[in-house]
Amino acid sequence: MGLRDRGPRTPRVAVDTGVQLVAAWHLVGVAAGIVSMLLASRSGDDALPAVIKLFVQVFSIAVTVAHLAAAYGTFRRMRRARTVSLVTNYLLFVVSGSALLHQLGAFTGIGKFGTGLNKAFLPFMVIVVGLLWVLVAGQLLAKKPLAAGPNGLRRAGWGLVALASVWFVIAADPSGMLSMIGDRITQPLTLGTLAVALCSGAATRFMWQRRVAVHFGTSASEEQTLSGLAFLSPNLIGFSFFFAGPLLFSLVVSFFEWKTTGTGRSFVGIDNYVRALSLDLSSSDVANAGNEVLKPGYQVLMHLDWFGQNWVLGARDVEFWISLRNITIFLVLAVPASVLPALVLSSILASRLPGMKVFRAIYFIPSVAGVIGVAIIWGQLFQSTVGWINYLILRAGEILPFVDPPAEGHPWLSSNSTALLSMVVVFAWMNFGFNTVLYLAGHQSIPKELYEAADIDGANVWQVFRRITVPQLRNTTFYVLITTSILALQLFDIVWILSTPEPGGPNNATTTPVLALYEEAFQGNDQGYASALAWVLFLIIFGFTFAQFRQQKDGATSGGVS
Amino acid sequence: MAAVTFNNISKRYKDGPKAVDDLNLEITDGEFMVLVGPSGCGKSTALRMIAGLEEISDGELRIGERVVNEVPPGDRDIAMVFQNYALYPHMTVRQNIGFALEVAKVRKDEINRRVEDAAEMLGLTEYLDRLPKALSGGQRQRVAMGRAIVRSPQVFLMDEPLSNLDAKLRVQMRSDIIQLQARLGTTMVYVTHDQVEAMTMGHRVAVMRKGVLQQVAPPQELYLRPANLFVAAFIGSPAMNLITADVTIEKATGGDQPDDVFVSFGGHRLRISPKALDRYPGLRERNGTKVIFGLRPEHFAMEEDLEVGDDQILTIRCDLAEAMGAEVHIHAVIDVPPPAVDGAPIAAEDDPEALVAGTKVIARVDGIHTIAMGQDVRLAVKTHLTHFFDPASGAPLR
Amino acid sequence: MSVRRKGPKATAIRIITYVLLVVVAVVVVFPFAVAVTTSFKRNTDIFTYPPSLIPKKDSTIPAADVGLDGDPVPVFTFPARDDRPGRWALVDADASLAEFRPLDDLERVIVLDVKAGEKTGATVTIDGEEEDVFLVDDGGTQVEAYRSRLTSGGLFVSVDDPSTSVLDLVNFATPAREFGPRFANFTEVLAEKDPETNGKGVGRSLTNTVLVTILVVLGQIITSILGGYAFARVQFKGRSTIFLVYLGSVMIPFVVLIIPLFQLMLQVNWRDNLVALIIPFAFTAYGTFLMRQFFLGIPAEIEEAALLDGASRSTILWKVMVPLARPAIATLATFGFLYAWNSFFWPLVIINSGNPDNAVLSLTLSTLGGRSSTDTNLVFAGTVLAMTPPILVFLFAQRYFVENSASSGLK
Ligand SMILES: Nc1ncnc2c1ncn2[C@@H]1O[C@H](COP(=O)(O)OP(=O)(O)O)[C@@H](O)[C@H]1O
Ligand SMILES: [Mg+2]
Repeated sequence: MGLRDRGPRTPRVAVDTGVQLVAAWHLVGVAAGIVSMLLASRSGDDALPAVIKLFVQVFSIAVTVAHLAAAYGTFRRMRRARTVSLVTNYLLFVVSGSALLHQLGAFTGIGKFGTGLNKAFLPFMVIVVGLLWVLVAGQLLAKKPLAAGPNGLRRAGWGLVALASVWFVIAADPSGMLSMIGDRITQPLTLGTLAVALCSGAATRFMWQRRVAVHFGTSASEEQTLSGLAFLSPNLIGFSFFFAGPLLFSLVVSFFEWKTTGTGRSFVGIDNYVRALSLDLSSSDVANAGNEVLKPGYQVLMHLDWFGQNWVLGARDVEFWISLRNITIFLVLAVPASVLPALVLSSILASRLPGMKVFRAIYFIPSVAGVIGVAIIWGQLFQSTVGWINYLILRAGEILPFVDPPAEGHPWLSSNSTALLSMVVVFAWMNFGFNTVLYLAGHQSIPKELYEAADIDGANVWQVFRRITVPQLRNTTFYVLITTSILALQLFDIVWILSTPEPGGPNNATTTPVLALYEEAFQGNDQGYASALAWVLFLIIFGFTFAQFRQQKDGATSGGVS
Repeated sequence: MAAVTFNNISKRYKDGPKAVDDLNLEITDGEFMVLVGPSGCGKSTALRMIAGLEEISDGELRIGERVVNEVPPGDRDIAMVFQNYALYPHMTVRQNIGFALEVAKVRKDEINRRVEDAAEMLGLTEYLDRLPKALSGGQRQRVAMGRAIVRSPQVFLMDEPLSNLDAKLRVQMRSDIIQLQARLGTTMVYVTHDQVEAMTMGHRVAVMRKGVLQQVAPPQELYLRPANLFVAAFIGSPAMNLITADVTIEKATGGDQPDDVFVSFGGHRLRISPKALDRYPGLRERNGTKVIFGLRPEHFAMEEDLEVGDDQILTIRCDLAEAMGAEVHIHAVIDVPPPAVDGAPIAAEDDPEALVAGTKVIARVDGIHTIAMGQDVRLAVKTHLTHFFDPASGAPLR
Repeated sequence: MSVRRKGPKATAIRIITYVLLVVVAVVVVFPFAVAVTTSFKRNTDIFTYPPSLIPKKDSTIPAADVGLDGDPVPVFTFPARDDRPGRWALVDADASLAEFRPLDDLERVIVLDVKAGEKTGATVTIDGEEEDVFLVDDGGTQVEAYRSRLTSGGLFVSVDDPSTSVLDLVNFATPAREFGPRFANFTEVLAEKDPETNGKGVGRSLTNTVLVTILVVLGQIITSILGGYAFARVQFKGRSTIFLVYLGSVMIPFVVLIIPLFQLMLQVNWRDNLVALIIPFAFTAYGTFLMRQFFLGIPAEIEEAALLDGASRSTILWKVMVPLARPAIATLATFGFLYAWNSFFWPLVIINSGNPDNAVLSLTLSTLGGRSSTDTNLVFAGTVLAMTPPILVFLFAQRYFVENSASSGLK
């Protein structure tokens, strides 16, 4: 008695019949592909947006060719035919399935679902609590050596979930959504898509079977490749569609003048990049010369005084250059401010004195709390008349002789000189805790013997820190510096909330490259130029990232950063 | 139950030498076959090819009548026990044992019945609802066995299943496995690097070295008639002493008297009993040449324990005497270079000490003797049991 | 660092260490404390100087305490009047009063009952008007004064001694303040957006954020498990190439993707829709690496045993690997949660923030708390609501964080 004595199996389609059906389906696919190709190329520009049209055409050609190959191979029972057929059918299934969901409004319907959820938030929370209960009960049971104990607790949880689900459905009232789906599914185009999805899905399922693999003589490595790609496919498809594709597209757009709305787009070569980066330096006799001394199209970026000669530095995109200057200052201040405390604190926290875990947790909180909330809080703290910062400085001035508080509250955010500094404070406050934890990981790779040896040698705390901890954490420090820099270079949210009177204010004192890009793309109207800015920024960031990758390769021992 | 047949099977990993080289081996239905050899010799690879866990580079593998080269592991109807047991950590013993049945969609009550039978057989009944981490090593090992037997497969595969257990438990489990296999009658392929396990467990033992099968034979035959120098050195514990020696044959004076055969090495000279010539007739042609002389530790005795002629006494200086209770192991060095085949010391894989200048020998004598370090010992040699190999090829001089 | 040392010097170092740690902890916690207390304040309370951490309300005492029945009565103090120490309950805010001004000091005002004072019969001319002269009681002494005004004001009863009462103009008294959190901040900020009720519509944003976060986390878990498993355990053609591409992808900052993604959303008509916050983010290279790394750490034999047990790849994945990968999945879920919950830049780009039906918390908060912010107390209530879930999640899932922050690339 082996494993073979199972109950009677449900009868299945004979392999031969199935394969012939699939082949026939591929022939249908060839025909359909040709038709849709023709339809797409004949439809007017107004019926289909150009990009979609191009996509449909390319897709149709690809589908036709793939179907043709699959049909031929399947009829001839060629070894590779199964792979071709499977890939074709699977992709077709994914595309038609997505199209079907799109036609049914399933994607955009999420917003409507949100409405229902809003109405039924209470039962929803009960469901969540019930599920958590079930999970936690399971965890607790699994902790005991004798697992699989009574699961009455779990059952009660499931019961709760079931009841709450009913309540949820009643409260959320999905009838509108259902009737909309009902309306849409009866439209001919939707029905067609449904048919394609069903056929390709069924064909995929059939061809996937082991006995069909045997029929076609699929080799084990081919089988592995198929299952590897199958597992990877959700990820890979999403990755291509929402990452790789857009990335290429972004590069293309950066060579165009590409209006955000409307149809104005024309190829401009590297003009966008030239515009972003152009500088002009000219000397002038007067101290504060204006734009007139510069080439046309340039604006004054800054005035310089070198050896008694007045110079004017101009740029075509002054705001971008200012943002580069700002971000450089920001980087120089904010990175050390969020790394040095982390280095020191992690050295203390690594000592395993009692209570260290609590401090570690506290320090980490700002980095998870959400940047918008954090910025709002700090906005209040920085308030010039009733803010805590000024108040505390004032109080400190009463106690400490060397603190000299200004007579009136200092306007931190609306003063040119302190606006960016305030952003530094917020950034450092948010990020030092995360860096501390990164450093703690690094500490774990320092051999304890080093400290013991230093102890025996009678080194003091400072010497130990200076001579052992810091050098041993070199790789971690590098990693932390780079990741923090990359983060700092993309500064946006804090500025968006805190700067005043307008984003980037006062007087562009807090404008950052990402802010400049955002304004160009979404408040201005040229996404081509904004894309070019994005790529310039990318190259800067890439420099840092690349350095980090190099380092990681060199120092395989970099603490905890494996 | 089924036979397993290797026909010219080879396995080459990516950018490596052949892990298994042209293996031909027929494991008959119901047989307990042990694959043995030093670590890295390709035993596991061979086993995993039966399981379908490694692709076969070349050749044909059959289970029963069926060629299984392209059959996925789950369809081969075999069960395997891994060295680290590979129990599913998140499943109870019951779920572990029943998993294969569950996957095969066997009915719940049927699963329960079979799992409980298996647990009963292995003495696991009271642990059925525990997780593996709450079990001792021996119990885990038994769960792994249970997982194999519950499926009633065609073939059992075991890859060093006992090497994670302590010595005492290993002996116990050894006999348990033997009995289990005898009772179930299922074909068993058992991989070990421990020749004691191999000798005690297998109906037949296949000795491998560097991917090449050296000899397949019942244990006693391996011991008595090793197919080559490697097998000779590998089988037996302590290992056979192998000494490069010169052969001298002195024509018998009398008519039907057999010729006198002598081996000499490092200043010693032994007369070989004519009975040895019956087993190694090729030795006769070796007058005046070098051979490799094989002498098992157990073929020595203290002079007073065994009556032999004076020319069958070997006098050695004891470097180390290990008293083991029932016996004493006397270590000594003979002043000849250690033998080598293909330029490499034979036993190097196992014994790095083989590289020392001079040939190490071990003699095993009765435990009643007290032997001091540095003492000269006179040992009687049972020369009729000795072995002779060609130094160039390592082949026995049969 | 050297922990094992003993002796007074080591103790001193230890004390300094803890002081340092506590100071930093205060710096971290203080802004949150400000946020929480502000979220319970009345709006007027926020813009007072000096700033305070205590939400206050106007004090009242039960009417019975001053011998009345009905609603609680407000309590006042007279900080400028040394002769009226203590707390005073305003029992009648509409008592008829008269303001008298002493003739010798016309700047002073004496507030008395409307019937108080005796006409002396004399008159005096003030600003061209003839006024009667009264003899009134001014804190025990009788002074001559004229009645400058008839008005209504408050009758105050001493809280300590209900038999004592004074009459005075209400705005000469200062309302007494006491601890009093305003919980309505939360209900108001959550309520549907409505200028009438002062509702801010954060409730709807909260729902949306919950929905988006759940779906993103679920999506990330599923795609990462599948992808991570394929990379870790399935030998397929092109695996290393694809993996390299994935590795490279983490070098691309999100800024570069903003514009093309925006264009893509326009094409599929997902702009201003929650789906634009979900589907593009259900795929994560980091999560895939995380899962791959974890799967690589599971002994291959366990999977091989399952293969021999006849399990298919997907059975192995869901029944063997996934249960074992629970810690990794928890890590992934935590990071995914924080990422989705806190994300701001992309919602800002793709969601029209005028429409609260599609907005998420971060977006709504940024509009509410932005430059033209009013109702700071409500903004802080919203902020506290938005921050609590991620902080709770962090506290519960700390273990996973601390273990994996270094390799997660949260940043
Ligand atoms: N997955 C693999 N990839 C490359 N080489 C391998 C792999 N597995 C084993 N080998 C090599 O194949 C040879 C035989 O290995 P194995 O069969 O495991 O030996 P053992 O007899 O110790 O079980 C060894 O040299 C080993 O290094
Ligand atoms: Mg092995």
